[in-house]
Amino acid sequence: MKRFILPAAIVIAVFMAFIPGFASDTMIQFWINALLLATLAQAWNILGGFGGYVSFGNSVFYGLGTYGTGIAMATYHLPFGVGLAIGVVLAVIGAAVVGLPILRLRGPYFAIATLGLNGAMLAIFSNLSIANKNIGLVLPLTRNDTMFYELSLGLLVLCTATVWWVSRSRYGMGLIAIREDEDAAGTMGVNATLYKVTALILASVFTAVAGGIHAYWFTFVDPASAFDSTLNVRMVIMCVFGGPGTVFGPVVGSFVLSAVYEILAAQISTAAALLFGLVIVLAVIFMPRGLADVVGRGRALSWRYFVRNITENRL
Amino acid sequence: MVLAQILLNGVLLGGLYGLMALGMALVWGVLNIVNLSHGALIMLGGYVTYYLFTLAGIDPFVALPIAMVIMFCFGFALQWGVLNLIVRSKMLNTLLITFGLQVVLTFTAQLLFTADFRTINPTYAGNNFPVGGLTVSVVRLAAFLVAIALASILWFVLNRLPLGRAIRATAQNLTAARLYGVNPRVLYAVTFGIGTALAGAAGGLYGMISNLTPYIGASLTAKSFVIAIIGGLSNPFYVIFGGIFVGIAESLTALYIGPTYTDVISFGLLVVVLVVRPSRAVRAA
Repeated sequence: MKRFILPAAIVIAVFMAFIPGFASDTMIQFWINALLLATLAQAWNILGGFGGYVSFGNSVFYGLGTYGTGIAMATYHLPFGVGLAIGVVLAVIGAAVVGLPILRLRGPYFAIATLGLNGAMLAIFSNLSIANKNIGLVLPLTRNDTMFYELSLGLLVLCTATVWWVSRSRYGMGLIAIREDEDAAGTMGVNATLYKVTALILASVFTAVAGGIHAYWFTFVDPASAFDSTLNVRMVIMCVFGGPGTVFGPVVGSFVLSAVYEILAAQISTAAALLFGLVIVLAVIFMPRGLADVVGRGRALSWRYFVRNITENRL
Repeated sequence: MVLAQILLNGVLLGGLYGLMALGMALVWGVLNIVNLSHGALIMLGGYVTYYLFTLAGIDPFVALPIAMVIMFCFGFALQWGVLNLIVRSKMLNTLLITFGLQVVLTFTAQLLFTADFRTINPTYAGNNFPVGGLTVSVVRLAAFLVAIALASILWFVLNRLPLGRAIRATAQNLTAARLYGVNPRVLYAVTFGIGTALAGAAGGLYGMISNLTPYIGASLTAKSFVIAIIGGLSNPFYVIFGGIFVGIAESLTALYIGPTYTDVISFGLLVVVLVVRPSRAVRAA
């Protein structure tokens, strides 16, 4: 089973590159969103899944990427590539500045400290005149969904390849060691702070590029949508639903949840969000180790697996 | 004079903030669940009080204990039927499931109560009286006193009653408490029920001071969270003090820096507390 995962993933990725050739416009737009969300979940996976540090501040990097691109293109009329680069630089600086003090905190305290970052950036950018305060920026319009689709797909492939490298490298082993026991990892010579900060920076790069692509596609940036705390919650949920600390779990998890949400929204618009919440609740009860663990069992999977999950975790 | 008035408002509002955080701190300290649906439970308590007032015509301060009983039953059922199933799982999973519950509660409320703004508006809602040149709002003062009273009752229950002893013992060592005859399933459900009842009371008071919508949950969770950390999880009165501290800080920020920065300042305080004294938020009840 394990041997076929990588070739299958490559075949699927190549197939997906041809989707714009035959799919409808709405389908492509759905996929652009799904691909960008999957990238966010996959980037979150680096520190959250492998390192075990739950960050609620990743949406800040998304916002910085969005605004880097927005300011460069709307205010200074620079090309898209330069905007993306500026966004990435901003996000990397942000990750280093924020990461160094906050990553000294352990476990839940780190998660709590990151909760405030988004609100702080929202307030700052709402008062920043270069970012046109809370009115927002309008980017030059480019109607080329195929390009945005291929860009998003390329970014997701790149991000997944990076995570694949992390999962097999000495660096990734260090992160996993930190997740399992940070003190023991330190004793074995893992520089925990360095590992955690580089993981955050790595995540910030992909998150910022995703933000930049979305900004150019959507052609509008404002503080409320750029620094959206629910976006951060969504990336955590998608990653955890799929399987944190695995290579393909977050991608599959985001695709499944994006599709579920889209179908629910189309069928029963009023109760879609409610049912989405129910899916999360049931998923945590019946498959606490994520979708990757369920699928990874292959034929050995039976209803006993779900019962065992409950008996293991209930009081 | 303006400063004194601002400080007074901050203290009165802070008492309510403290009450909001009380239930979250209790559940966090005893069950080790960071309940992300806490704000949604506050919202629900607000609506229960609202409907007791508008449909049954009960005075909101009389409706408050009734709402607390209803919310206790709801919280008990939630812990017994759902959260007890995953309570030994990883912290990430408890965060995730309570987030899911928050989504479910918010959008159920939207279906049942619509997204309209609601305010619990008894005839004396606008009344106030002067004290030494300052204006004191009757409802805000009452809310503050209710918060102090509930914190005192919680302190008494935790420190003087057998139930409280069982709750504190469970927080310290679940296995040992079990050996002494504590039934953890019931005790967890009761504790979560108490936390939910406190959230319900906070919601009723919040509805008299501010507006209720189905969507207030997330921001109230965040606020409760900050206060629970600043106040610590060990003593109900510290949580109330934490609330007053945040209330004053927010009022001063709104006065001197600008109202858009009020949320930033409470989180700024939180980060300072966490970085300077991480041991402040030790786990005990």
